[in-house]
Amino acid sequence: MGFDFNSLLAFIIFGVTIGVVYGIVALGISLIYSGLDIVHFAHGEMYMFGAFFGLVLAHNVGVPYPVALIGAMILTALLGMAVERVFYRRLTRAGGGYTVAGMGMIICGFGMSVALVNVAYFFFGAEAEPFRANLDYIPRLSFPGDIQVPESYVLTAIISVALMAALHYFLRHTKTGLAVRAVAHNKDIAYLMGVNVPLMISLIFGLACGLAAAAGVLIGPMQSVQVEMGYLMLMKAFAAAVVGGFGSLPGAIVGGIMVGIFENLGAAYISASHKDIYAFLLLILVLMFKPSGLFGVEAKVKA
Amino acid sequence: MLEVKDVHAGYGNLKILRGIDMNVPAGGIVTLLGGNGTGKSTLLKAISGLIPLMQGDVFFDGVNISKMKPHHRMRLGLVQVTQAKEAYPAMTVEENLILGAYTRRDREATKADLERVYDFFPVLRERRKQLSGTLSGGEVQMLVIGRGLMASPKMLMLDEPSAALAPKVVLEIFANINRIAKSGVTILVVEQNVRMALILAQYGYIIRDGVIMLQGEANKLISDPAVKDSFLGGTVADTSKALRN
Repeated sequence: MGFDFNSLLAFIIFGVTIGVVYGIVALGISLIYSGLDIVHFAHGEMYMFGAFFGLVLAHNVGVPYPVALIGAMILTALLGMAVERVFYRRLTRAGGGYTVAGMGMIICGFGMSVALVNVAYFFFGAEAEPFRANLDYIPRLSFPGDIQVPESYVLTAIISVALMAALHYFLRHTKTGLAVRAVAHNKDIAYLMGVNVPLMISLIFGLACGLAAAAGVLIGPMQSVQVEMGYLMLMKAFAAAVVGGFGSLPGAIVGGIMVGIFENLGAAYISASHKDIYAFLLLILVLMFKPSGLFGVEAKVKA
Repeated sequence: MLEVKDVHAGYGNLKILRGIDMNVPAGGIVTLLGGNGTGKSTLLKAISGLIPLMQGDVFFDGVNISKMKPHHRMRLGLVQVTQAKEAYPAMTVEENLILGAYTRRDREATKADLERVYDFFPVLRERRKQLSGTLSGGEVQMLVIGRGLMASPKMLMLDEPSAALAPKVVLEIFANINRIAKSGVTILVVEQNVRMALILAQYGYIIRDGVIMLQGEANKLISDPAVKDSFLGGTVADTSKALRN
């Protein structure tokens, strides 16, 4: 079989674009993990709700795509904050992470995932809906070797990178971001510094769910939007977070990109019908050789 | 300035403090002494609000703060400096200090205070861009005290500033605590290093098994045989004998 360098390049480019989307969902999972010491298993549903909010805003309300994106992020952030406040807060207050309450939190996350999927069935129905976005004003990218990258992929890459940069700026260069990092490291000391810890936890949840929503609206025009879409995204984003090193924000992004590339290459050169296996193959390989992940952080210096 | 009245507190159902009364007058240095597991840190947590009171009241500046959340107490000017190991290792020295001023909105004064902290502890200025996880034990202790000062406190509560430090470093830290007190900040210092603490402070409380066992002027306590026996080299048998007498 002749090796075609151009198609390899194309697979990598598409892998990176889809990978940054995994990356921003993984970023949210890592953010919640650093902030609350819990793994949020209903995060895939935040992604799904984000996609539906974007769809409803774009099709039914008729706002332009970028407005739908921002609107979906805000609505999903509010949904996530409400879910955290009403359901998770009692459990996380009793102790997160490695305590018995932390175990309860995992079960609660799964339960929330099932509940949210059923709520979504009720409102949005079972059919997969195409997300038609008018993206004509975005230029197609042409790479040497006649590789054409569609508008939605270009947009996805640009917006994902912008979101990551914004999050980085927020965490590293603003006072509120400093407070978020303080809460992630040690809630008691953050309290003593005068930080309103419960408010920061809400903020962390809102940010993470808003990022998931952005991923949903970005994926929408590439695939269709349907209620069950969250499960697979959660698994891939989870794989991305673990590959990068759980709790590490740069790790989440690099992990996402690696999962995206690996998946696309596997689908292209091994078997396209097993596309969804490769993320987990990568996960197992990384766990075998570097269990802490590529950017593994010690518990002490997370976020 | 700080009044603790009949405070009972603990963790879950476990009661550690069993009726503590304490008074810290404005402008002075008061020390709270006791061995491991006597309730010193629990009392600090009860005062700063990290754990709820089971009974009793805490007044700061005449205000009853017993039911306030920790970040509200802190905004009144009651600032707790945690043990040195609890700096934020993944943040730079300067980020730690800025976090100390988190609640303040007066940019100019905050900047002036940052300079003041750097003048108190010049080594922090040298290391301002360094991650605080890379500092030595003494430097981290200076950092957490400096971080407390950044909040522009009326009163600082220090949790074992001499813990795990070399005698020479302890001397330097205590000299700085004295300078901070002279600048008008009331200080409550929790210590195990009894001799140093009683030299520094004007008044001392000794806590044992969750009650105040002894209190008095620092210069009297330092020569008190009960104190001497229980902390300054007495054996456990001596201590319990002295207590029964």
